[in-house]
Formats: sequence, structure tokens, C-alpha cells
Amino acid sequence: MSGNLELALWSFPLLLALIFARAPIALAMIAVGAGGTWLIVGSPMMTLNQLKTLVYGQFSNYSFSVIPLFLLMGSFATMSGMSESLFRAAGTFLGHRRGGMAMSAVGACAGFGAICGSSLATAATMGRIALPELRRSGYSGALSTGALAAGGTLGILIPPSVILVIYAIIAEQNIEKLFAAALFPGILAAAGYMAVISIWVRLSPGSVAVQERVAWPARLAALAEIWPVAAIFAAVVGGIYAGVFTPTEAAAVGAAGSGLVAAASGRMTLPRLGEAILSTAASTAMIFMVILGAGLYNSFLSLAQLPQAASAWVSGQGFPPWAVLSAILLMYLVFGCVMDSLSMVLLTVPILFPVVSALDFGMPADDFGLWFGILVLIVVEVGLITPPVGLNLFIINSMAPQIPISRTYRGALPFVASDMLRVAILAAFPPATLWLVWVLDGIG
Amino acid sequence: MYRQLERFAGVLARTLALVGGAALLAVVALNCVSIAGRALVPLQIGVGPIRGIYDITEIGMAAAVFAFLPWAQFNGAHVRVNLLRRAMPGGVERALEVAFDAAALAVATVIAWRLWLGMLDKLAYGETTPIAQIPIWTGYAAGLAGAVGFAAVSLFCVLRSARRLAGAGD
Repeated sequence: MSGNLELALWSFPLLLALIFARAPIALAMIAVGAGGTWLIVGSPMMTLNQLKTLVYGQFSNYSFSVIPLFLLMGSFATMSGMSESLFRAAGTFLGHRRGGMAMSAVGACAGFGAICGSSLATAATMGRIALPELRRSGYSGALSTGALAAGGTLGILIPPSVILVIYAIIAEQNIEKLFAAALFPGILAAAGYMAVISIWVRLSPGSVAVQERVAWPARLAALAEIWPVAAIFAAVVGGIYAGVFTPTEAAAVGAAGSGLVAAASGRMTLPRLGEAILSTAASTAMIFMVILGAGLYNSFLSLAQLPQAASAWVSGQGFPPWAVLSAILLMYLVFGCVMDSLSMVLLTVPILFPVVSALDFGMPADDFGLWFGILVLIVVEVGLITPPVGLNLFIINSMAPQIPISRTYRGALPFVASDMLRVAILAAFPPATLWLVWVLDGIG
Repeated sequence: MYRQLERFAGVLARTLALVGGAALLAVVALNCVSIAGRALVPLQIGVGPIRGIYDITEIGMAAAVFAFLPWAQFNGAHVRVNLLRRAMPGGVERALEVAFDAAALAVATVIAWRLWLGMLDKLAYGETTPIAQIPIWTGYAAGLAGAVGFAAVSLFCVLRSARRLAGAGD
């Protein structure tokens, strides 16, 4: 083994040590990446010269520009009041079932996820609206916080999705097709969460209030109220699927649309516009710093030829492809317990994607890239609801201080189980993910 | 003195973030206008998409992202893993905080410095964007405002965490 390769291997424990010492992840990746490159080249000049154009190049990258626009769209959607109408509309369809209000919350999360590309924003927005209602109707602390934390992950699982954009860029996949591939698994996720709720309330009955069945005219009236959500989703995701817009243009249209809805609702005052911008600013800066850090760290790893060596080693061992895939997905689940999804994707996909691409899963390379992306998306999103560090759990729990975090942890577990089941199904049946891509390809 | 610096860093970070937000909103508006223009092309009334909208989007976006950096730094918005926080003695945590803020200052300074040199290169070669022919150095210059602000706010953050380490409280 060459010295450089050894250096690259040692950089992992160092990086993890820094991260566990609470170093900002972006900063840790920049330090280890730049330091490692310095050791290999013998001078800092290579990184310094790279930095003359690298940072500007990444921040001005047209493909990345979709990220702040989707975040802005989510910020506007958050203050637009669309979340309330979604919750009401879902309630007219599901409220009369047992556990119906929690199911409505999940359904509203799915609707909100269709116009918001961020899980944290979805969890925060829907939690504020649905959590008090759930508690008032007698749902247990564990079920109501667990359902909302899990529902929040639909923000990312249902397109548009910031994580998918990033995966598309690093794995050189087509964003339009990835969004198409994500749609059915996203809907399956919502259905799975509703099934969990349904089973849960049957196992511990008696606690939840059931509402009257709502008649169809009232249902249709409630549906009519959510037309802005449908229109924005149709314009953004439909426009991307149909190839009318580039993803960036679609995100701009979506931001403008949800901004207009927020303005029309009378909730967008100047101070709140400022707040929306500042929260977009903080998330955008955070994401781009991680992108920058991952770029430097991964360029160090490529310089040390680690991805090539890892790929050659894995193919050389003759492992069955399915075993490798399972090991990778399992690794994401484990790391997801402590790391955030964005850093995990940026850190690992550049190394793992070449490794798994070299294996034979019996499908064309294009299909494989999409299918693998969706599987990774799901397993990293599970990280948002796995203890001890699940950001969605923290967000929802912070809204209900009287519920101990341990109860929220317990509440999330059945939903994690449904995620695992879904990963297994989608891994075993790739067409479940890919059929919509094939259909759209056939049309286009 | 410290209070004044704190207010200055906060106002600087906030102002830059809001200016960056204005750039982002401008990008949204221009893209919508461009799409509308493209949709009207078949009518042949002399309107079309904005020439070089991709170039404009890229420059506006870079300006915005750079301008957002100080705000994230000021608010400690960068992702980190807090798993071991409770296990860490308070003094260790605060000392590490100073070290991380110092590292952030170093990174911010290097970024601003290299961006400046990059801008001089682009200026010297007279490079322009492919379609709209906008000089690329203007994008760098717009980014530089945020990058310098990032370094300035990072400097304040070192001071802030050093004060906390010294036990001065907030």
C-alpha cells in the first residue's frame, strides 16, 4: 500500500474525531482535506491556487443555484398558511378513521413536502400546527411527536428535494429523472407512516378521539382551499418532469409562487420577509460551506487515489453485489444516528458511488444511478428520526417541552421500522422506483 | 467596547444577509421574466427570454451565497455533531470553541484573500461570461463583499468565544 493511500485512510478517524469534538463539519473537512493535500504535494500552493477559482466556481455553479431557491420557496411556504389548509383538507378525508388526525398530519406533511425541499422546515412547520391539535385530541406524546418527526422526513423524500439535487451533482445523475424516481417511494413512505399509525392505535386503543365522517361536498371545499399547493407543485415538479424548465428556473417559479401566496394571505409583512430571507441565508451558507469542505476533502482523497483503490479492492474481493449494497445502506443507518444527511451524502457518495457502480446489479448504469440515489436518500433521511441525534426529533420535541425526549425516541421507532421495510422493498424491486422514469422517458 | 463590536458584527452580518437576499429575490424575478419572455416568443411581438439569464443567475447566486456566510458564522448555524456535548467538561468545550472559531477565521481569511487574487486574474485576462459577455471579475467583486464580511465577523466570533472561555459570560 502506498503512503498516500495510508494517509487517506488515516484521515477518516481524524475527521471523525474532529466532528465528534463538535468541530463544524464543513470546517473539519476543509482542514483535513487541505492538510492532507499539503502532505501529499509537499506544499500548500496547490490548494491555495485551487481556491482562487474553486470557491467562486462552486458558489456560482448553475446546478447548485437551485438549492437557495428551493430553500427560499420553503421559507415562503412556511409563512403562507398553506400548512393549515393542508392539515384541514387531509382531516376531511382521514379524520373519521382511528388515528385519523395523526394520519392527516402525515398527509399534510406529504403535501407540504411537495412544495418544500427540506425536512427540517417541513417538520417545524407542520409540528407547529398539528402538534397542539393532536395533544388536545388525546394522542399520546410518543405517537404525536413520532408521527410528526417521521412526517417531516417527507419534505425530502417527496420531490423537490435538496439532498437529491446534491446527490445528482456529485454522482453526475440527471436531476429531472431523480425527481421522477423519488415520487413513488415518497408516496409509499407517507402510506407506510399512516399504516404505522393505524396499527399503533389498534394496539393501544381507547386514547384517541375519532371525528365525524365528512361529506364529499365539504371535502371538495377543503380541497379547493389547497389549490395553491397543487398549482405550485404542478408548476415546479411537473415543469421539471416535462422539461419545460431547468430545475433552477422551476425553483425560481416555485419561490415566486409561494411568495405570492404568502403575500396574498396577508401574512408577509416586511419583518417576516426579512426573517424568511435570514433563515434562507443561514441554511444556504451552511449547505455551501459543507459543499466546499466536501469538495476539498474529496479532492484530497482522489489525489491519494482512494476511490480507485477502494473500487478495485471491492471488485477484486468478489463480494456479492447485494452484500456490498446492504453493507453500505447499513453503514448509512449507523452513521445517520449521529450525523446529518447532507454531510453524509457529500462525504461518502464520491467514494462509494464508483465502488457500487463497478458492481453488476443487472441494470443499465443510468437506472442504477437513480435507484441507488433513492435508496441512499431514504437511509440518510432515516437518520433524522433515529436516536440519539435525530434533528427532526429535536425540532418536534422542542415544541412540546412537557414530553420527555425518551418518549419521542420511542415514538419514532415504529416509523423507523417502516422505513427499513420500505428500503428492503425498494431494494428488492427496482422497477418500483424506476417505472415513472421509464414512462416519462417513453413520452419524451 | 465589546458591546459595540458585538453590535457592529451583528449589524454587518444581518445587512449583508439581507442584501444577499435581495440579490436572490432579483434572481427569482429575472428568471420569471425570462420564462415569461420565452413563452411569448411564438407570438412574435419582439420579446424573448433574457439574454444570458444563466450567466446572470450564476453571478447573482454567487454574490448571495458569499453574503450569507457572515450571518451563518455569527449565529453558529454550521452543522456539527453535538452527541458528546454533555460528556465534555465545560472548560474543554469552551476552549475547543475558541480553536474552531480561530480555524474559521483562518479559513475565512484565506477564502477572501484567494478570491481577491482570483478577481485580479479575471480582470487581467478580461474573461467574460459565455453568453451575456459580463466581465467575470464583477462576480468575484460582488462575492468579495461577503467574503470580507465573513472574515470580519469570524474575527469577532473568536473574540466572543475567547471571552466566554475567560468566563466573562455574554
